[in-house]
Amino acid sequence: MKKVLLVDDDVDFCEATKILLESKACEVILAHDGKEGLEKVRVEKPDLVILDVMMPEMNGYDVCVVLKADPELSKIPVILLTAVDQAIFRTTYTPHMGLMTEADDYIAKPVEPTELVSRVENVLNKD
Amino acid sequence: MLIKPSINMLVVENDIAILQRCRELILNEGHKVRTAESVGEALNIIQKQPGDVDIMLLSLELPGWGGMTLINILKKARSEILIVAMSTNCGEEAIEAMRAGAYDCIRKSFTADRFWTKMNRAIEAFRLRHQLDILSRQRQSALSKVRHGENLLAILQSFTDGLVVTDWQTHIVLFNTKAATLFGLTGKNASERPISECIASDELFSLFMRAINSDSSLASLMADEEPVIKIGERALRVHVYPVKNEGGTVIGAAGLFHDVSKISAMDKLRSDFFSMVSHELKSPLSSLLMQISVVLDGLAGELTDKQNDLLGKAKEKTKGMITLVNDILDYRRIEEGKSIQKIERLDLAEILQRTVELMRLSAEEKGIAIKCQIAEKLPSFSGDMSGIEAIFVNLISNAIKYTLKKGTVKVTLDKSGKDVQFKVVDNGIGIPPEDIDRVFEKFHRIKTEETRSIGGSGLGLSIVKGIADAHNGSVHVESKLGKGTTFIVSLPIEE
Repeated sequence: MKKVLLVDDDVDFCEATKILLESKACEVILAHDGKEGLEKVRVEKPDLVILDVMMPEMNGYDVCVVLKADPELSKIPVILLTAVDQAIFRTTYTPHMGLMTEADDYIAKPVEPTELVSRVENVLNKD
Repeated sequence: MLIKPSINMLVVENDIAILQRCRELILNEGHKVRTAESVGEALNIIQKQPGDVDIMLLSLELPGWGGMTLINILKKARSEILIVAMSTNCGEEAIEAMRAGAYDCIRKSFTADRFWTKMNRAIEAFRLRHQLDILSRQRQSALSKVRHGENLLAILQSFTDGLVVTDWQTHIVLFNTKAATLFGLTGKNASERPISECIASDELFSLFMRAINSDSSLASLMADEEPVIKIGERALRVHVYPVKNEGGTVIGAAGLFHDVSKISAMDKLRSDFFSMVSHELKSPLSSLLMQISVVLDGLAGELTDKQNDLLGKAKEKTKGMITLVNDILDYRRIEEGKSIQKIERLDLAEILQRTVELMRLSAEEKGIAIKCQIAEKLPSFSGDMSGIEAIFVNLISNAIKYTLKKGTVKVTLDKSGKDVQFKVVDNGIGIPPEDIDRVFEKFHRIKTEETRSIGGSGLGLSIVKGIADAHNGSVHVESKLGKGTTFIVSLPIEE
């Protein structure tokens, strides 16, 4: 069973997404701000981190940069999630943002649940 | 002409002998002469032929109205006439006459020499006066020109908009106070210097160059353009017009600058507000979508048919709202001129393929087949990735939306001349002819019985047009009501 850490300050979104991913045979751990997320990555060593961008304490980009700079954690794939107006096309992976933070995928909110599941499976099955 | 060649004289004398003698002396010298024997007669000649008398030889011993009366009248009415008095003694009356304005006095017992000594001096005086008169009149007209210019300058200075005028080499020839404040111009640093050296803006320089090099038809086209340029902290709306001489040749350009910094700041505020609001809308919508989907998928317990039906509708409505928020954001970005975010080399075939695959599911749900035809070896194209994707998504999803069950949507991508052509053909409900010209207008939606149940913001096509325009491309639509619609987007390939 793959372990997924979902970091998002929107509790309702977390709750529903947890149920969705659990139905796809994932173990889902939640964190509600950037700092808590970073701590949980270190303790839980998840197989995937899903990071919301706009969060209190520490935003998703910064968490991602810290993760990717840590040799022990840099192998853990990261998917960035954001409702910030970034790309016209909602499900576009933006290479620029990805490069900047070395995230493995980039998903604009709101996302169709089936789309989220397929992106998650994609990243998890990469290796 | 400054020197009057011959002098017109009038002799007023009731003593005929003296009158004749004067007349002969004057005629011998080649001047013109008229004679009068009374004040009344003299006035008749003067009034009938204004300007015809230069020098008047006037006897101070006329009967009735005396010579003095005539002097007083003429000093008021015809001050340019030079008066030489004649009297027997040249006594008190002569002094009085000269005080009243006569130039000189001649004794009636004159010899020819004596006569001409006095008369030549009078003629000389007349000529000088005449020259002086002409000169002062010329000066007067020059002065009035200067005053006219000063008035014009005062008007220009009172403008609350900046004004800069250049000659045909873009050297600054004139600017008003407002322009001086806007650009920090002073008479010393700006006069006769190229505008590019005084105001650092390539955009502005090219506007002046265009105005100077434009023919009249272009100039009138340009009048519609109102570019806003940034100079330092300020945002200025600029109009640059060609300045033409009387023959219609462009001799320079005049730029008018309207400070819109305050309006721009308001725009920024509005734009920040938009971003904030849409973010606040998108976050709860994404939770809502996730929650409803999870329940619909039966992950929170099994659903009855009725619950399934109701929640399905709620999900559709939620997705409709998400599309609306995204459309508003996209449209705003195009309005702000940010539809091109990043130009990069794009693999159009790959992007289209991916988009079609994403849309295929929703098309098949409606029983619509998507046929995709992409030409091999498409020329390379540079553009904005998300913009091009938005064109593909909007046109294909529209075709699916406005095609009823069991239709076909045909998508082709091909080279056409110097363009890449993207074409979407459907056999859907079509567009009524009266609406065809308005489909690219924002918020314009076609309202018929068939479209009533179809949701949308009315922004999709204006977004497509905005992006195509930003890529120097075009969008074209053909439609037959009840038969289907074709949208063609042409995007120029780089040379």
